[in-house]
Amino acid sequence: MSTVDTPRERLEFLQGTLEVLILRSLQLGPNHAYGITQFLEQQSGDEFLVDNGSLYPALQRLLQRSWIAAQWKMSPNGRRAKYYRLTPAGRKQLAAATSRWQRFVEAMGRILAPEG
Amino acid sequence: MIRDAIRECWSKLCRILAGRRGPAIGLNADLAAEIDAHLEFEIQENIARGMPPDEARAAARRRVGNLTQIQERARDAWRFPPLEAMVQDLRYGLRGIRRAPGFSLVVVLTLALGIGANTAIFSVVNAVLLRPLPYPAPERLVVLGETDPHAEGISVTWVNYRHWRDENHSFEDMAGFRTASLTLTGRGDPLFTRAGVVTYGFFGLTGAHALLGRVFRPDDDQPGAAATVVLDYRFWIGKLGADPGVVGATLALDGKPYEVVGVLPPGLGFFQRGVDYYLPLHLFEGETTDRGRHGSMRLLTRLKPGVTLAAALADLDLIMLRLARSDPGPESQHRAHGAFLAEATTPGLRPKLLILLAAAGLVLIIACANVASLVLARASARAREIAIRAAIGAGRARLMRQLLTENLVLAALGGGAGGLLAQWGSRALVAAEPMPIPRLAETTFDWRVLLFAAAITVLTALFTGIAPAFTAGRSDLVSALKGSSRSATGRGGQRSRSALVVAEIAITLVLAFAAGLLLRNLTAAQTADPGFVPERVLALELVLPSAAYPSPPAIAGFYDRLERNLHALPGVADVGAVSCPPSEGDCNDWFYSIQDQRAPQPAEVPIALFNNADRDYFGAMRIPLREGRAFNETDRAAAPRVAIVNETFARKWWPRESAVGHRIKYGGPYRDGPVYDIVGVAGDVSQLGLGIEPYPEVYLPFSQSPDRAMVVMIRCAGDAASLGPAVRRRVTAIDRNLPIESLRPFEQILAASLAQRRFSTALLALFAGLAMALAAVGIYGLLNYWVRVREDEIAIRMALGAPRPSILRWAGWQALRLALIGAAIGMVAGWAVARWLENLVFGLTDNLATLAAAALAVIAIAMIAAAIPVWRATHVDAMDKLHHA
Repeated sequence: MSTVDTPRERLEFLQGTLEVLILRSLQLGPNHAYGITQFLEQQSGDEFLVDNGSLYPALQRLLQRSWIAAQWKMSPNGRRAKYYRLTPAGRKQLAAATSRWQRFVEAMGRILAPEG
Repeated sequence: MIRDAIRECWSKLCRILAGRRGPAIGLNADLAAEIDAHLEFEIQENIARGMPPDEARAAARRRVGNLTQIQERARDAWRFPPLEAMVQDLRYGLRGIRRAPGFSLVVVLTLALGIGANTAIFSVVNAVLLRPLPYPAPERLVVLGETDPHAEGISVTWVNYRHWRDENHSFEDMAGFRTASLTLTGRGDPLFTRAGVVTYGFFGLTGAHALLGRVFRPDDDQPGAAATVVLDYRFWIGKLGADPGVVGATLALDGKPYEVVGVLPPGLGFFQRGVDYYLPLHLFEGETTDRGRHGSMRLLTRLKPGVTLAAALADLDLIMLRLARSDPGPESQHRAHGAFLAEATTPGLRPKLLILLAAAGLVLIIACANVASLVLARASARAREIAIRAAIGAGRARLMRQLLTENLVLAALGGGAGGLLAQWGSRALVAAEPMPIPRLAETTFDWRVLLFAAAITVLTALFTGIAPAFTAGRSDLVSALKGSSRSATGRGGQRSRSALVVAEIAITLVLAFAAGLLLRNLTAAQTADPGFVPERVLALELVLPSAAYPSPPAIAGFYDRLERNLHALPGVADVGAVSCPPSEGDCNDWFYSIQDQRAPQPAEVPIALFNNADRDYFGAMRIPLREGRAFNETDRAAAPRVAIVNETFARKWWPRESAVGHRIKYGGPYRDGPVYDIVGVAGDVSQLGLGIEPYPEVYLPFSQSPDRAMVVMIRCAGDAASLGPAVRRRVTAIDRNLPIESLRPFEQILAASLAQRRFSTALLALFAGLAMALAAVGIYGLLNYWVRVREDEIAIRMALGAPRPSILRWAGWQALRLALIGAAIGMVAGWAVARWLENLVFGLTDNLATLAAAALAVIAIAMIAAAIPVWRATHVDAMDKLHHA
């Protein structure tokens, strides 16, 4: 039950950030949709709740832009699953988006940080 | 970012193009399998955490979410949302049209009429006024004339032309042109032919190259050059049998040999009535040294790029000022006049076509108002459907877009039907060719016409759809669902429909008034006293070639003999001749002055029409002599020069005494010219056209100034046309080589002179009729609806004892009120429009009677259209209605 009723309200993804996070999760190696969900929720310390209604369309968009590619493969526990992996274009996009994000965070931080 | 968007679209397109067989079907199955696997992972995880299988499955489903929705949203990522919504709207619109076939048919037909009429007129406007002329750099081509203090656009004299051509700084090139009539002999029957007489620059300016041989070179256009001729294509094909060896051959024109140097390809089309060949102007004018000698030459020129017409004319005026000092004379007052070729070739046509286009536009507005009213009515009938759609989540923007799409579908159908109608209509317009309009025959449906039709179709859709679309978003859900169609859109819908009907009535009144004015103008012209008796007169038009008739005695001898021979024909009562017959217009106007009166200022020398008549002309045409005598045998060439003036002339100068005995000087005080004794005053005739106010006119006796071109009027005892063959034989008997220019009953000529006015009047009347029909449909529809939504109310009133007449008054007043408001607005607008028309249509007089008649007609039509709904209102079955309420 702990996965559903969480006392603390979880964060929603900012517009457009989900796609970058998917790319980031695939940087470690190919993964399937469930695996991506798990990764994002764990890495965020369960702050993010991944809505499958957003995840799947985002995956389609990434496919359309050829930033990721998909392939059906056997998972370690013997189930067939669709594995996504980064393409070179996706890798480049991730690098660009990461640096943009860092500049954004720094700028936001500088503005929002309480004055000393 | 744009690159990403493009790549996204490309991927989607590839998938769509790959078709249903391949990945498209795969997408659904693939997504389903993937989500299935996802679910399975969750379940495994939950079981691994120690949940019982059922609970693990349930928790997993909660965790994953709505499976169908996820799949749908993932699939949506592959769609083009706006496009597909539009396709859906289109499909929905088509379904709506099928569901209401009567409504749709009325809308489509109404729009087809409006769009069709506009497109047909526009296709003519496009061909005649808008399409660029088929010459190089047509936008810089200018026709030059001269102005004097009285008239602008008169001919340019040869000497001025030479100066302008050599001394200007504004024009690339300059060519003189005029027409001439010559007789071709030596090739079968003598042939009356028309020449374009031009300087050699003409072909360069019009971009014409020879099909065979060559066009003129500078050396054809010089003193002492051999006489050469360039043939027009149609003449070469039609009259010379397309002889390929024609170049180098000789044509005998007016008895003089011309060497053929070339043949033009088809379609130069510069001269409005068409010419048979081109001759060098130098041959005719080269010797002229008198700067004041006006012929009929105008100049064709091309402005240098970047030079305005005004600047170029100022440049020429400087030359004229210089010449006024070095070569003073009658030309000293003259200046240059210029108009762009595109306008110069269609004088007076622009306003006429614009009136017709404006009328067609008004018809379209009425059609739109009708359709908007229908759509509004339907929107209130559909209020419940729309309210439900809004209730289940359709946004207001989405609803508006859908209603507009529906209108667009209807308008597109109307536009398509209108296009067909227009094609048929414009072909009929061209076939009717009411007047020689340049380039009318070139009327086709090119891209401009199609664009115009598409544009008015889209505008129509927006105009007719915008009001219902707005009310749609505002409709009140609760009252709509409660089922009363009256309260759903409230009184707003009814009020805007009433406004539309009022506007329709007003516009219809304007059109009816304008058509009425033109109609009155036309009937006035048709019933006007022409000043002579046109019935049973056969008009024989002749032009004697100068080679065969070089001298005045030869000309006089011919016509004298001809008239005597014709007079001897059985069935001929009188024979007389004139050079410019009634309704022909202005053949020759010139300055004059009254002897023994103070000389007018140079800028105020009066002008009169000068005509040439023989002694029997007035008698043969039954033109009354008011004073003095007709021409007679004593007016010989050597005798004192005499003249007969018309009544208008006599009244202008001698309102209280007789004109006979006074003397006038041809050319006025500042120009050379003979002096004439006035011997008679003739009644006014419709010289400038039927119903057009007469202008001062002077007749000179043929015996003193013979003219080669005369129209011989043969008054017959019986039917004029039947004498034709006998007259033709008499002409041939005198001169076998003389072509007959025309021979027809004079009544026909008179009727033809009204053809153009009759045509535009008929077209405007047609538009007014269309407008009335549409307005009638509009008011019928509105009242019908008004009665339908009030049937309950009427039933209650009747049940409470209201008599039929009071219901009749109540419903009738609704119709009458709209008609009266519309008529009031229309009368004000009509009065303003009449002012505008007066400036455009010559001789138009507005009057209150016509306006009142138009208003009455429109109100009557409105009341007739309202009769059926009003009658229905008084025959509501109260009991039945209340039982079912």
